[in-house]
Amino acid sequence: MKPPPFDYVRARSIDEVLDVLARHGDEARVIAGGQSLVPMMALRLSRPAVLVDLNGVSGLAGIAPHGGALRVGAMTRQVQVLADPQVERLLPGLARATSLVGHHQTRNRGTIGGSIALADPAAENPAFALALDAGIELQSSRGARTLPATGFFSSAYVTEIASDEIVAAIHYPLWGAGTTIAVDEIMRRRGDFALVGMVAALHRDGAGVIDKAGIAWFGLTSEPTRAGELERALVGRRADGLDAAELAQVAMAGIEPREDAQASAAYRRTAGINLAARVLHAALTGAQSR
Amino acid sequence: MSEHTITVTVNGVPMTRQVPARRTLADFLRIDCALTGTHLGCEHGVCGACTVVIDGNAVRSCLMFAVQADGVEVRTVEGVAAPDGTLSPVQRLLREEHGLQCGFCTPGFVMTLTALAERTPPASEEEMRNALSGHICRCTGYQGILRAVRRLARGAQAEG
Amino acid sequence: MTAIRGEGARFMGQRVLRREDLRLLTGQGQFVDDIVLPGMLHATFVRSTVARARIAGIDIQAARALPGVHAIFTAADLSRHVKAQPYMHSNAPGAAQVLHLPLADQDVRFVGDPVVLVIATDRYIAEDAAELVVVDYEPEDPVVDFLTARDAPPVHAEIGTNVGLEFATPDDPGLEKAFAGAAHVITETFSQQRHACVPMETRGVVASWSAGEMTVHLSTQIAHMARRYIGLAVGLGDHQLRVIARDVGGGFGLKAHVDREEIGVIAAAKLLKVPVKWIEDRVEHLTVAGHARQETVTCRMGFDAQGRIVAAHFDHKDDVGSFPLVSPGGIGMMAAMYFTGPYRVPRYGFRAASYFTNTAGRCAYRGPWMTESLIRESMMEIAARQMGMDPFELRRRNVITAAEQPFTTPTGLTFYAVTPAESMEQALKMLDLDAFRAMQAQARAEGRLVGLGASVYIEPSSAGSNPQGVGPSDVAEIRIEPDGRVNVQMSAGTGGNSIETTMAQLIADELGVDMEQVSVRFGDTAHAGFGAGSGGSRQAEFGGSAAKLAAAQMRAKVLKIAGHLLELDPGELEMVDGEIRSTAGANKWISLGELAGIAYLDVLRLPAGMEAGLETRARYHRGHLQNHSNATHLCVCEIDRRTGQVRILRWLVSEDCGVMINPMIVEGQVAGGVVQGIGGVLYEHAAYDEDGNPIATSFKDYLMPLALDVPEIEFGHLVTPGDAPNGAKGIGEGGAIVAPAALLNAVADALAPLGVRVNTLPLSPSRILDLIASAGP
Repeated sequence: MKPPPFDYVRARSIDEVLDVLARHGDEARVIAGGQSLVPMMALRLSRPAVLVDLNGVSGLAGIAPHGGALRVGAMTRQVQVLADPQVERLLPGLARATSLVGHHQTRNRGTIGGSIALADPAAENPAFALALDAGIELQSSRGARTLPATGFFSSAYVTEIASDEIVAAIHYPLWGAGTTIAVDEIMRRRGDFALVGMVAALHRDGAGVIDKAGIAWFGLTSEPTRAGELERALVGRRADGLDAAELAQVAMAGIEPREDAQASAAYRRTAGINLAARVLHAALTGAQSR
Repeated sequence: MSEHTITVTVNGVPMTRQVPARRTLADFLRIDCALTGTHLGCEHGVCGACTVVIDGNAVRSCLMFAVQADGVEVRTVEGVAAPDGTLSPVQRLLREEHGLQCGFCTPGFVMTLTALAERTPPASEEEMRNALSGHICRCTGYQGILRAVRRLARGAQAEG
Repeated sequence: MTAIRGEGARFMGQRVLRREDLRLLTGQGQFVDDIVLPGMLHATFVRSTVARARIAGIDIQAARALPGVHAIFTAADLSRHVKAQPYMHSNAPGAAQVLHLPLADQDVRFVGDPVVLVIATDRYIAEDAAELVVVDYEPEDPVVDFLTARDAPPVHAEIGTNVGLEFATPDDPGLEKAFAGAAHVITETFSQQRHACVPMETRGVVASWSAGEMTVHLSTQIAHMARRYIGLAVGLGDHQLRVIARDVGGGFGLKAHVDREEIGVIAAAKLLKVPVKWIEDRVEHLTVAGHARQETVTCRMGFDAQGRIVAAHFDHKDDVGSFPLVSPGGIGMMAAMYFTGPYRVPRYGFRAASYFTNTAGRCAYRGPWMTESLIRESMMEIAARQMGMDPFELRRRNVITAAEQPFTTPTGLTFYAVTPAESMEQALKMLDLDAFRAMQAQARAEGRLVGLGASVYIEPSSAGSNPQGVGPSDVAEIRIEPDGRVNVQMSAGTGGNSIETTMAQLIADELGVDMEQVSVRFGDTAHAGFGAGSGGSRQAEFGGSAAKLAAAQMRAKVLKIAGHLLELDPGELEMVDGEIRSTAGANKWISLGELAGIAYLDVLRLPAGMEAGLETRARYHRGHLQNHSNATHLCVCEIDRRTGQVRILRWLVSEDCGVMINPMIVEGQVAGGVVQGIGGVLYEHAAYDEDGNPIATSFKDYLMPLALDVPEIEFGHLVTPGDAPNGAKGIGEGGAIVAPAALLNAVADALAPLGVRVNTLPLSPSRILDLIASAGP
């Protein structure tokens, strides 16, 4: 299980990265944490001719508030998110979601941008970005653009990133006081991809009425999926007194769960509804399950 | 394929070698540095046998290319005991609690626990236990490893 | 100096820390992949991508032209240099023979079947070249389901059938009459899924041929048996072959085999006259290394009104894949032989059948015959529920007591010195059954699913010690060197089972020296005589008894020499603290070092007629078939209704393996087996799709228990010595045999209020929610 041959470029600047991508197009890939890409290469399922390393590029990592959002640089390692005081204060749900990604050893190297770019349908961070409709900041030699997460994830492992683009940062909108975000998932063993998982973000106005809801499933279907019907059902209602178990049924409405070797579609439906009840209860009561 | 001359400081010793781009850090340690204590149990980043410590953090050496480690400090299982052979607390406790049988997965466990125990402040028992989920042991049923972690965490806290 | 009398054994029975650990914890172990030889080349295989096909052509041109490629072998090149071999172990009488050659010739028979062997300067280049080999397959419909394989086109045309073996005990009117007269008859069909052994070190070999001698570094539990098999396959005598296994990164039965790949690499090294290394990668391992435990058993048991078993029938079918490493029928027959286990069963019959399929071959996996316990103990609890009886009371009415021993089973096995009844009571006491029942009643009242499962069993120690098995004997050769230090060579093998420590404990006690004075080496055919090695839970009894006998001989010789030198009767001497001293108060002693020096260098001082030197050897075999250990395991679990996940709350073990050399190591062996058993019940599944494609070929898909998935195991010990010289009885496989039934029963008990039947493994969250759903709202 050894990777096929490739040329390696240790880029020192974003411009250098973008230049290599512009020249090599589909033949080139960037490597961030490498925790998913390198196994794919070892299995010879991914075989870039040119590998451009982002690890030596300055300016791609870091966490800072930025225009009503928390901007997390693409090369910010998952472990840094877990330890960051601003995340803890402003967006603890992101730490909760990230704590469920892989294992301690892979989080030490894996990056936030890498998770977003990979777009694994059972992964936590794409669903988290989707629930908040985060902005995905992309850069290429043609310039920069920011796509909303809702239009970014096309299907399993497929995104709107062009072959000459990289993810530069994720902008998580900060909904401010009155926000609760709950994240949970069912995994066969700790660190496994989710059989089914949910991110539920709610914002209440001063009167306790939900005025914003972002709810995303992961692991349930072939891509991270917003529970749109539930979001619409929640907005405009008072949070207290809502029945999470009923809402969980709504969350599953219209969704055809996937089936794989680890779980049947029926399992994902039943367990997913049960999980949703738990996650929604946590979000409604403000008890972030951590 | 590109070739690269790299210098990796392994257990305090600078190792300068020419490597092909695709050589994994694990193979670099085993083949180019002749440090065969780092084991390959799956080569796809799940089993944890190849775990080493880079700049204080436990990482999978099968999931890094050697060329990416140019200029960094790597610690392997060969660099954990004292120069006179005295076992480190992690090694000693794994032995005292019968935390290994065949010993193939053991270097990975040693490296993860070493990084966590030597961190400032040292990791809690819960953090250590959670980190164990990044390793597979097929022999011990984890019983001795979990006992060693309990003692390690308590000892580290007592000292810290 | 003052003589201090030793008080009993210093090391036997103690939790002595392992000497192996010092190198394994510091990265100084020596596994096969750590071997580097000058000029060594690296091998990889091109493997079939389809389950069943004719090979229409193989194009190696592009691969051969790749720089760094040294050789490429197809069956046309290699087969004539290899003699096809049947199963390495246990050829069940009447079983169909599959002959093994390294590479597929005209047909491929499973996904992963090796077709081409590529040898290059490094593994990276070998894999590049393997990708360039083009094999033209003409696919055919594969046989994937073993239960319908009987009537499907034969996997091996030359055998002409997919029936590997079909055996049945003769029709027994008495058996049917007993069933007809039974107050309760329980019938159930159980299915178990395909497992993989998954030692953390995969298979591997480094073969080097030099001037008529072949040295093979092999990841094996059984160096001597491997040498014999390799010699037969590649045409070398035992005197031309040396097999070395220093550290072995787990075996679990898999490494009691030598498979097609290893033979292919050794044959290639002989042809090329260059050392060749092959290390199996993990995808290869999960795809092609032996699989196990794909079995279906239909069991029928009859009980009288008081709950006494009156009759039983066990009908075992298994999938042996395409190239099994064990004989078809061998495992089913052994399971059937042991099915009646610790209970009195007056009437018994069985069937055992094996079928070939286009899948990876069956191998031995830790307690291969474990369905006997899985099915029997499940049946006992199903029966208890049906009769409305406490499952432990039901067992009490049937379990063999001490007074009945020696006890002969319906299949002719003899049990003596076993304590199944006592172990069950000890385990129940550890649990506090009344407290558990109260907790369970409370939990059930709250709608929670909490269950208790038990499993009582008897384990053959050295199951393979019969003439058709792993091999009949083991040897220990002891030398006390001229400086008084002790070197021991053994035919033993390892897969992590700590015998460097346990054997040193035995010998150090017998010779009255510190363990640090004793070195124990094994796993090298150049160092000790032929022996069976590791497999079938045999090391403590076989290796241990050989070591004990050889050490006793040495002790006798040393005392005789010392008596002569000190002018005392040998009967008045003892070996303690590295010295031979008078026990009768005489102030006379000699150090072992001084005595050893005399034995080798000053030989005229020895007693007349005595051979110089201090060298003894002993070989141990048994005059009867088997010794037996036994245990009871209890599992308490809770099922999450919302997720179908099983959480194990407690796990209790009461075991009796006779005299324990080192209780720490006994517990370690049991714990490892228990967790493998948990893996098999909850997680592990080497599944195929309907086209015969394996779908669990990485650790992302083949799930094994992790540290947070396991309970803390609680141990109780009973010590009833066996008749071996050291009183030990094997326990190495036991955890993996007995644990699955305890967990299955705990899940079944937790779900009992729902009235569902639990008879199919694995108990994945998906299956458990299906079971809960099947009970209705």
